[in-house]
Amino acid sequence: MHIRTPKDWELPESAVTSESLYHLSKRRDFLKALGITAVALGARQAMGATAGFPTKLNPAFHDAALKPTAYDAITSYNNFYEFGTGKDEPRELANRGWKTDPWTVEISGLVDTPIKIEVNDMIGKVGGIEQRVYRFRCVEAWSMVIPWDGFQLSKLLALAGPKADAKFVKFYTFNDPKSAPGQREGNLEYPYVEGLRLDEAMHELSFIATGIYGKPIPNQNGAPLRLVVPWKYGFKNIKSIVKIELTAKQPRGTWEAMQAREYGFYANVNPTVDHPRWSQASERVIGGGLGGRQRTLMFNGYDKQVASLYAGMDLKKFY
Amino acid sequence: MLFLEKILRSKAAVWTLLVLPGLWPLWPIFVRPDPSVTADALKYLLHHFGFVACVVLAVVLAFTPLRVLWPKWGVAQAVNRHRRLVGVAAFVYAALHVTTHFVYEGGLDVSFIPDIFRAVVSKPFQLTGLIAFTILLLLAVTSPNAAIKWLGGKRWKNLHRLAYVAAGLVAYHQAAARKIFPLQVLWIFVPLALLEIARVWKQRQVGRVVPKAS
Repeated sequence: MHIRTPKDWELPESAVTSESLYHLSKRRDFLKALGITAVALGARQAMGATAGFPTKLNPAFHDAALKPTAYDAITSYNNFYEFGTGKDEPRELANRGWKTDPWTVEISGLVDTPIKIEVNDMIGKVGGIEQRVYRFRCVEAWSMVIPWDGFQLSKLLALAGPKADAKFVKFYTFNDPKSAPGQREGNLEYPYVEGLRLDEAMHELSFIATGIYGKPIPNQNGAPLRLVVPWKYGFKNIKSIVKIELTAKQPRGTWEAMQAREYGFYANVNPTVDHPRWSQASERVIGGGLGGRQRTLMFNGYDKQVASLYAGMDLKKFY
Repeated sequence: MLFLEKILRSKAAVWTLLVLPGLWPLWPIFVRPDPSVTADALKYLLHHFGFVACVVLAVVLAFTPLRVLWPKWGVAQAVNRHRRLVGVAAFVYAALHVTTHFVYEGGLDVSFIPDIFRAVVSKPFQLTGLIAFTILLLLAVTSPNAAIKWLGGKRWKNLHRLAYVAAGLVAYHQAAARKIFPLQVLWIFVPLALLEIARVWKQRQVGRVVPKAS
């Protein structure tokens, strides 16, 4: 049996705000009253690997004009080809015994101290989690607004210390064909990999999400931790990360390797550079109903923050 | 088989079979809402109508080869009574698909209309769909008996051979619709292609035999 001991940096359950955790915490209080401090595996699985961390909205990364997409839509409309190419499939197939707890991430390559770290320990080391409300724009021309919980990617990279010759960051998703039907089928080349330039990765907007709406991130959204780079198309936001490698050479992402003309390394949201088969000038707003179409913003609305990263670059060439 | 043949002879039964796929979306949108569908119900409708149009078009094109290859098979005879009805149904589903496309791409905001047309003419994926739809429209308006009389049998037949062009365009259009190749394109159009090849082969054999005999 898996016994969980609360870590010293975990705040009391009363600090937790979301409804489902609220109910669970009452159960914990009850267990505590009986003198039982460890929570059994069953409850923990229901909560996810990164449960128990208090989160608080960071107002610096929240625009009151953004209306968050419904939790149901965020967790039912997923591209996670490891679990099938239909939007509805990951919700079904990623929750049939695929284990995302415990979970260990390796940081290696051009770093001062290569590390292997369990995801709960990682959250403790980077100083806990916070909530940020980001726009999310898929390359398929649809968008959401998602309240992510997590921490800044730069804090994680700092744990390993990138060397001076590290120029890029390469991310790897898990590879477990036994648990992932899409990997068995081979609908893409697995494991899924993605990359960022180091300065992009160190940008304050680049984020590692461990939760959505204050709850641990569901399996279909990339449990227990995934990348969120809000000014890039969704496919850059690699899910269920097991390895992060600092490199000198520009990595090639899975989609870029498959069809470079359609999916570039940068994949910055750009309404003036079309996908060869459809326009990127506007997007469907998930949950928006009949009138749910809006114009796409340059860098997905984060141009003030990130445009300087690409100063002097021809974005039609480096798409 | 006799039972199937009887059902397929009935116009009412064929009507029902053709209408049912159009009612199907009511289930995941209203009766038992599926959050994966209601996240963007228009997208679901767009793909559903397009998919049904593809299948119905492939089905109606299979009727002639079935009759040529198995002339004595009752089912093949039965379905060939409804060729025009099924063909018009393919057009109706294509029209629903195109209409949904406009609402999907434009929302309720007319300022998106120029963008929609720009995309249609500049993307081969979308242009093939539009050409195929135009063909189906042309065939649908010339499907009444009056149109056959007006055009004359031979010209009408030649015009309606454009349905094969539409099928080819639709196969490409559907294959290009997803980020990775959708296998459904193969199971819709490969059987049709095989039937057509067998049919042409058989008609050539017969064509060779007949002059010798005369």
